[in-house]
Amino acid sequence: MRHAGLIFAWAIGSAQFAAAAEPVDYGREIKPIFVRHCYACHGALKQQSGLRLDTATAIRRGGDSGAAVEPGKSGESLLIDAVTGANGVTRMPPKDEGGPLKSEEIAALKRWIDSGAAGPTDEQPQSDPRKHWAFQQVVRPAVPRVSNAAAVANPIDAFLVSSQETRQLVPAPEASRSALLRRVTLDLVGLPPTREELHAFLSDTRPDAYDRVVERLLESPQYGERWARHWMDVWRYSDWYGRRAVPDIWNSAPQIWRWRDWIVRSLNDDKGYDRMVQEMLAADEIAPGDEEAGVATGYIVRNWYALNPNQWMKDMVEHTGKAFLGLTFNCAHCHDHKYDPISNEDYFRFRAFFEPVQLRQDWVEGEPDPGPFQKYEYAVLRKLVKPGMVRIFDENLAAETRMYRQGDERAFVEGRPPVPPGAPAFLGGDKFAIAPIDLPVGAWYPGLKPFIQKSEIDARQADVQKARTILEAAQRALVGAVARMTEVEGQRLAALASAPAGGTQPAPHDPRWLDRQRDSQTAWRNSQAGVKLAEAQLASAQSRLDSSVARIGADNARFRNGPGDAVELSKVASRAERTARLRGALEQQVLAEQAATSERLRHGTVAAGTTQEPLPATVKAADEQLATAVQNVAKAQKDLEIDSTNYSPIGQVYPGKSTGRRTALARWIANRDNPLTARVAVNHIWLRHFGRALVETTGDFGVNGQRPTHPELLDWLAAELMDGGWKMKHVHRLIVTSKSYRAASSGAEGHPSAARDVDNRWYWRFTARRMEAEVVRDSLLHLAGQLDLTTGGMPIENDQELASRRRSLYFSIHPEGGGHPQMLELFDAPDPCDCYRRTESLVPQQALALANGPLALDQSRLLARQLWKESAGRESDESCRAAFVTAAFEQILSRGPSAAELAACQAFLSKQIALFQADAPAATPREGAAAGVPASTDPTTRAAENLVHALFSHNDFLSIR
Amino acid sequence: MREHEQTPQCCQPRRAFLADVGMGFAGLALGSLLGRDGHVRAAEGEAWIPPDGKPHFAPRAKAVIWLFFSGGYSHLETFDPKPALTKYDGKTFSETPYPDPLASPLHDRRSRSVVPMKRDVFPVIYPMQVGFQKYGQAGVEITDWWPHLARRADDIAFVRNMWTTDNDHAAENQMHTGRHKLDEIQPSLGAWVQYGLGSLNDNLPEYAVLGGPTRADNRVSIGSYYLGPKYSGVPLALDPKNPLPYGKRPADVSAREQANEFELINQLNQLSAVEYPQDETLRARIRTYELAFRMQTAVPEALDLATETADTQQRYGLDKPATKMAGERCLAARRLVERGVRFVQVYPSGYGVWDSHTKLKENHTKLCAEVDQPVAALLADLKQRGLWDDVVVVFCTEFGRTPGVQTTFTNGAKDGRDHHPHGFTVWFAGAGIKGGTVHGATDELGFHAIEPAHYVTDIHATVLHLLGLDGRRLEIPGRKRLDIDHGKPIAEILA
Repeated sequence: MRHAGLIFAWAIGSAQFAAAAEPVDYGREIKPIFVRHCYACHGALKQQSGLRLDTATAIRRGGDSGAAVEPGKSGESLLIDAVTGANGVTRMPPKDEGGPLKSEEIAALKRWIDSGAAGPTDEQPQSDPRKHWAFQQVVRPAVPRVSNAAAVANPIDAFLVSSQETRQLVPAPEASRSALLRRVTLDLVGLPPTREELHAFLSDTRPDAYDRVVERLLESPQYGERWARHWMDVWRYSDWYGRRAVPDIWNSAPQIWRWRDWIVRSLNDDKGYDRMVQEMLAADEIAPGDEEAGVATGYIVRNWYALNPNQWMKDMVEHTGKAFLGLTFNCAHCHDHKYDPISNEDYFRFRAFFEPVQLRQDWVEGEPDPGPFQKYEYAVLRKLVKPGMVRIFDENLAAETRMYRQGDERAFVEGRPPVPPGAPAFLGGDKFAIAPIDLPVGAWYPGLKPFIQKSEIDARQADVQKARTILEAAQRALVGAVARMTEVEGQRLAALASAPAGGTQPAPHDPRWLDRQRDSQTAWRNSQAGVKLAEAQLASAQSRLDSSVARIGADNARFRNGPGDAVELSKVASRAERTARLRGALEQQVLAEQAATSERLRHGTVAAGTTQEPLPATVKAADEQLATAVQNVAKAQKDLEIDSTNYSPIGQVYPGKSTGRRTALARWIANRDNPLTARVAVNHIWLRHFGRALVETTGDFGVNGQRPTHPELLDWLAAELMDGGWKMKHVHRLIVTSKSYRAASSGAEGHPSAARDVDNRWYWRFTARRMEAEVVRDSLLHLAGQLDLTTGGMPIENDQELASRRRSLYFSIHPEGGGHPQMLELFDAPDPCDCYRRTESLVPQQALALANGPLALDQSRLLARQLWKESAGRESDESCRAAFVTAAFEQILSRGPSAAELAACQAFLSKQIALFQADAPAATPREGAAAGVPASTDPTTRAAENLVHALFSHNDFLSIR
Repeated sequence: MREHEQTPQCCQPRRAFLADVGMGFAGLALGSLLGRDGHVRAAEGEAWIPPDGKPHFAPRAKAVIWLFFSGGYSHLETFDPKPALTKYDGKTFSETPYPDPLASPLHDRRSRSVVPMKRDVFPVIYPMQVGFQKYGQAGVEITDWWPHLARRADDIAFVRNMWTTDNDHAAENQMHTGRHKLDEIQPSLGAWVQYGLGSLNDNLPEYAVLGGPTRADNRVSIGSYYLGPKYSGVPLALDPKNPLPYGKRPADVSAREQANEFELINQLNQLSAVEYPQDETLRARIRTYELAFRMQTAVPEALDLATETADTQQRYGLDKPATKMAGERCLAARRLVERGVRFVQVYPSGYGVWDSHTKLKENHTKLCAEVDQPVAALLADLKQRGLWDDVVVVFCTEFGRTPGVQTTFTNGAKDGRDHHPHGFTVWFAGAGIKGGTVHGATDELGFHAIEPAHYVTDIHATVLHLLGLDGRRLEIPGRKRLDIDHGKPIAEILA
């Protein structure tokens, strides 16, 4: 490492040089070192060895071992011994708490000590992180009074205007009605308004016209789809992935889409956010019989990872913390959290909530049986099972969570007892009790469902029917074989009898006759064997039917208040099942007998039992199998003598109890007393309405996260959410009807507030933003009247990007290559592993997708033709074209063109028409999947198509203004 | 090994930092789009700041050509020949004078299978399948399958003490992301480079990929994950009809027709710009449309190999069926770096083809013959065109192959080697590299890389270092990029 060494030496050299020249800046150079490396143990949270290192005074004072520094003498300072591990002092920070200080940091500390170890006189110690704003209960703040009452439609405005007034900011005027309609429509349903909707709104003069629009949108089924996609970002929705090419499932599950549909449904039904969180974490415990709710645990299924259960648990802890609580538990995976009062042990306590969890696959009525969930086995490909629903259950009720060191899952802490489940104490997470839950039988025994019982009987009956058919065929074959044998014998006798008298004596064993005789006898013997086997199989099938009928009867008596005495019926079922086992053993015995006989025949030893030494291996093996079969029959016969109520269930049975751990967790999270949950939720909602969040670090409300720009507003919204039954539509309504939301985004120039708050941090105007990827695609289809509004169902594969016109959220999404439709990927489709907020990039490929992509091209052509038809038939070409341009602007941009825009478009149409008239360009059709809609052959229509196509690339189309 | 350093930003989600740039998300994207080499950034030790497209210190290289050979070439039959294998042909390790490599503690440390099970170990030594000679002033041992590259030995720095942990083919992804399949997915090296430095050109993708990865699960090797899709590698096809997604005007749209449309879009957006004079996003969008229009011609132009002279084409082997594919990809790579593409990831051979569990000799003879001449021609060409001091070439694979013969086949085949993460060879050449170097070694039987050895992130660190970047400072706060090892530049091979 010669080279690295050089850099190292250079760094030290420069630091030493600096010592002579520059004074030490405690605040800039020294304090950050302590913050970075020392605060976790020597700050407000903990004072290991009685030492605090959060002020220069405290550092000079020192702790149990005396002063940490000798001002002026770095060589005699304990602090330097500690950070270098010199003079027998244990090196700090300890290994488990992070790496050693960098040499230049140590050098800086030495300079500071040598220069007197001084700090500012007014230096404040680190405040107690438990007092951090986000960890305090939500108290509904009073709505502030503002001088400009006209700017206030509801309390949201009061908070925002109040913050503006202290900064001499004046709100922008209301946006134009057309801009407002487009904004709120895209915002609430993810689709732009059509021209008809635009005209209807513009001509609605009722004072509550806007409120009516809002209500219409909130009641639209597309609201649930739009906002489901937002929450799917936060909750990391992903379809299955792993090795799709094979296909081998390593992550998530193929049936996870039912969770997506649950999200859409729950939002449309305005289910409370608290209930949604509870169902996602613990529907199997809090709503155990409710299959609708059961799919909500897809939230946990999504994190499932075949190859490494630790990775599953890591994702559960990290993202449950971030998504619902805005807490970065992941930072406490290897060591105590550096900022928040979350210890390394808290991390593992949080993990323990999920430790017992396993997946199961339930049969859904009307679909094929998915069979039991396939657990991971080395080198065994996982079958891609699409039917059924996937959900979780507590499999291992005694699951223990063991701590490991330094984030290395192999390095268990020896001798350390397992940690119990719990949440951080500073949030009251150590207070709640966890009680095991007795599950209703329907939850742990799906085989009780009438449709499964019916399927079981139907299947057994079909078996019987099939066995009967086989037996009948075998019997017919036997009759045929006997007839054939008789016929051959008759022919032989006839041949004998017809031997010419006095001629040569017929050969008594003419080989021809012998062959025929033997063949017919063999066929007869085989048919006999066939009948015997078919009889045994029918008896076995019949007994299995009897067994299923008896077991279902007993199940019904025991669990479904069915007729009969449960104990008696159980005995009957038990005996029927054992009878079926005997019949099965007998069937096997017949098979083994016949196999043994045919093996011997094959080797020329006809009779079983004859000894021919040495016996061929195959004969020996067949004999052994027969002996086993005989033993099995004997055992099954003996088993019949037992008097028992035990019988096998129909299908899978799961534990009758659940640990209750996740219920406790869910109730603690979705609780009015939890200071974080509602704040985090309303912050996410706010972000998606305004394009910026009240707390910009949406996944971190901890000490190191950013502070809210409007703390009272955040708390008021959180209180409003909780007091309103956690209903989200209520919050949406409040936001979109506020004057602040309705403010114009443009016209900022020359506005008195523009100079004072250019970034619009104080919401004096609305901030325009780009459509999300899904909205771009859906809008193209919607405006051309091509969007297929079918809801729900299995994900559409991404190679159907052009063929399917369903909404984008129904396409497959996963983090592997091809995990998004290609076009969506370019417009920043969400990373399904982590998307607490969307990225909004601006790259040339987006322009290419719109210019060259078949979707935009096809939709342009379809839309242009509709609009052209509507605009035709006016007095002049010019007025037709003007009407068309206006219609296209209204449809695509929700506004009419300005005079300059109209002129530019008119000129463009003329130019294109002339172009197409002049050289009537050969329209080479596109090929394959991209074949799409051919260009019009009429120059005028084709020019119109071009215009619409260009408008789809307009900045105002892609923007939500 | 697993320690990672705590920074105050350890727990800060990256999105917050992106937002802090001031210009907002769109602004950042544009900022890096326009990023250029230039001033040295803030000194080490200061708080994390988002990259501004400038290196952290003076760079040695401007661009990277990363040649990846999928499937795992045998280090033993390429650049780390071991005559001892031939000497002990058919013996087990215990019958040789060398310590039992299977008992070494390195063995468990260096293989982390995706399942709690050890892969089979093959104790019977398989002889070398090819001869070798010493080449160049440095006397580098190279096998006879590399006649062209052997003549370039003095331009190349071989690193023979590589190891990795994934014993399955997800090691291919590990080579590019630094992380094992068992762990969280990470952005690829190319994505980090692009994120750190941005583009050198105006009309080409910043991170281009040629010839792969052909399987969807291996797109991890060019992925950008939490850095955002903008930083993903862009696969370019050497197909003039469709070189880039949406990069080609549809067949039923004429050139004039489209040019007029672009003009109208520009005109209308400019009218908007008058109405919203302070809308930065709008201005950036106008610019991306201009770029997009240029890209449509720039990408096909960059990939149009027909404009190269017959002599050049011949030197890359375009005239012979065996070398045509690798030759085209190598030549295209040179054309791309010449035009300012920062990171070109090339798959000269197909997916997994080097994976020689059986018929190693047949397989490697053929594959070496396909890539030897094109890669050697690339080195010569870079020199000749004065690109040698600007471009660093990395030649690598996901792991080596076992010294023992693989014997697990039901058909009795015993003519191949299994995956071998414990030791393998990669090489570097070009900008900032000390040619004619052989760095590190495996033991006599080619089993273990002798300590101190290099984990794959050392390759990343070396590349980043040459580009003037400190990998640790590229990290996104709140993300543990590489918790096995951040990697250190391989100092011994640097010029």
